[in-house]
Amino acid sequence: MLWLQLTFTGLQVGALYALTAAGFSLIFGATRVFHFAHGAAFVLAAYVFYWAETTGLGMAAGIVLAALAAMAFGVAMDRLVYAPIQRHEGSFFTVFVASFGIGIAVQNVLGMVFGRSFVTISTGLSRSVKLMDGVYVSPLAWIAVACAGLFFVALLLFLNRTHVGMALRALADSPELIRAYGLDPRRLSSIAFALGSLLVVPGAVITALGSGLNPTLGNHVMLISLAATIVGGIGSIGGALVAGFILGLAENLALVVFESQWTEAVTFAILFLVILLRPAGLFGRHATR
Amino acid sequence: MKKGRFASAVAAATLCIAVAGTAIGSAHAEDLKIGALFPLSGPNSAYGDIFASGANLAAQHVNADNMLSGRLTIEYEDSQALPQPAVVGMTKLTEVSQVPYVLSAFTGVSKAISTLAQRSETVAVNGGGVGPDLAKLGPYFWNVIPLANLEVRAMVPYLADQGLKKIALVYVDDPLGQSILDELKATLPDVGGELVDAMSVPTNTQNFSGIAAKVRAANADVVYIASYGAQQVQIAKQLRDNGVEAQFASYSGFSVPEAMKLPEADGLLFTTQAVDYTSSDPVTKRFVTDYEAAHDRMPSAYVANYYNAVRLFALLAHALEEKGEPVTGANLLAERKATKSFDLVGGTVSFQENGTLLAPIQVNRVEKGAPVALTTVDIQ
Repeated sequence: MLWLQLTFTGLQVGALYALTAAGFSLIFGATRVFHFAHGAAFVLAAYVFYWAETTGLGMAAGIVLAALAAMAFGVAMDRLVYAPIQRHEGSFFTVFVASFGIGIAVQNVLGMVFGRSFVTISTGLSRSVKLMDGVYVSPLAWIAVACAGLFFVALLLFLNRTHVGMALRALADSPELIRAYGLDPRRLSSIAFALGSLLVVPGAVITALGSGLNPTLGNHVMLISLAATIVGGIGSIGGALVAGFILGLAENLALVVFESQWTEAVTFAILFLVILLRPAGLFGRHATR
Repeated sequence: MKKGRFASAVAAATLCIAVAGTAIGSAHAEDLKIGALFPLSGPNSAYGDIFASGANLAAQHVNADNMLSGRLTIEYEDSQALPQPAVVGMTKLTEVSQVPYVLSAFTGVSKAISTLAQRSETVAVNGGGVGPDLAKLGPYFWNVIPLANLEVRAMVPYLADQGLKKIALVYVDDPLGQSILDELKATLPDVGGELVDAMSVPTNTQNFSGIAAKVRAANADVVYIASYGAQQVQIAKQLRDNGVEAQFASYSGFSVPEAMKLPEADGLLFTTQAVDYTSSDPVTKRFVTDYEAAHDRMPSAYVANYYNAVRLFALLAHALEEKGEPVTGANLLAERKATKSFDLVGGTVSFQENGTLLAPIQVNRVEKGAPVALTTVDIQ
């Protein structure tokens, strides 16, 4: 039964990776900005939710505030950090370093405000319920998988059925064409950041309720998001989602075979294999030259 | 005119004598500085705050009692509980500040700085790391805390007495975790126990739901958690959340408020060195009274250890000053070897030849967020 338990656990973890990676992929796919501070948006949303919960505002208000905080952070990063750098024709590397620096700064500010130790919210949602002999699943696991499915469908509908969504997809291919159609690439870029940052919220809330928080949490989230984005295919939101689940499952199922300390290595072994065998990722488009 | 010159000469001479006198006086009243390498940032910074609270209280008492000719101050450097920043901090303390005595914590950090301590003849005193290797780091490395091998040797027979003989270990992949694994392997057969599974986790892992599945599958009576900081709390919470119902056990790393106040940690057993906080000896009584007044809670063993580490320095430095000898690392070491016992918090203690304090171990249980002492074991 161990493998079945680990499959359930892998699906829960994978759902969180998938949503966070889809957000990163949406931002990178539309704007070509390596938004390393995406992990900071995750941890910021998680701490805002934690604050709302511990001050008695309640879970619903906490989720709304976390969503607003994550989206505001994403838009602020786009308008106040990336746009000025791009206006001065800063390189890809300059943008990366700025994003990395903001990520570290957010981590430290959260440490100053909330303390640097581990914080947690006590809730019955994180307590596992016995499904069958040797298999326990918490309500949070079902919520995580359901959120991943809902957000993915909603995102696909938005990108394929709305004018803004189609413009976002076009933005990645040709900003000049966007301007020719009278659309504002800067506004579209902010929408991409707002939406991409919104996608971290389910994962952030579930992490706050389930495994607990500390300010350094964003680093791991960003690392996995990056791996899932590359494995799924850069710019492919569906690919990032599938890759998130693959990595979550692999990380957990590896425990059947390997010592627990090697599970993270399994994630990056998959990344390495994909880069070697399919450099464009599982669902990425091959560049033609 | 001559009279005026004479008066000026007398005034100048008086001034010179006064300045010289002050200078001679200040040679005696020179302030003494020691160093401390604690995690002040990062996921283990909660320990740094606790360690510093003990060290600062001791310095406050030493200064209030005028134990030394000058004021005692502590220069803190942030180790982040990581070897590399700790070596940078130790280099600064020994090369720039040239302190004779440094407080250290965490097994990995202590091992990393021990070479610098030997080379610069600076005494390094650990009151937080419990890896057994810390007893073998040379004459300039001292431990005012019993090490993990002693803690495991006290916990295993206690568990066996309760009928808990099958142990699964979740341990951090570093020298501390490895030493606890080795000690469990060595100790369990003596009591008819068995290590049913041992799962190592990297220091940065934060998700343990998969580990929980393996722990449940191991069907152990006890899960021994050998980690520290935020990680040990996450392990306890996530194991309970994921249906692990076995008894939890741990070592002194769990004796921090952030770990004990976790609801999922209720009933967890952990070992610490035995300190009788109700003792009537004046050192312990003053320590407990003043700590409670300042922090509104009882001190932990870690607080006592770093209080003792600073008090130990003051006792040794005081003895050296009485003899007119300079307070250097080499002299502190010689003085410690020449002194049979010290009056510290918890009673009169002595050091083993390897520089490690020998103290009885206490088994505690977490009840409603606080430790409750269950039994004390004398380990030889």
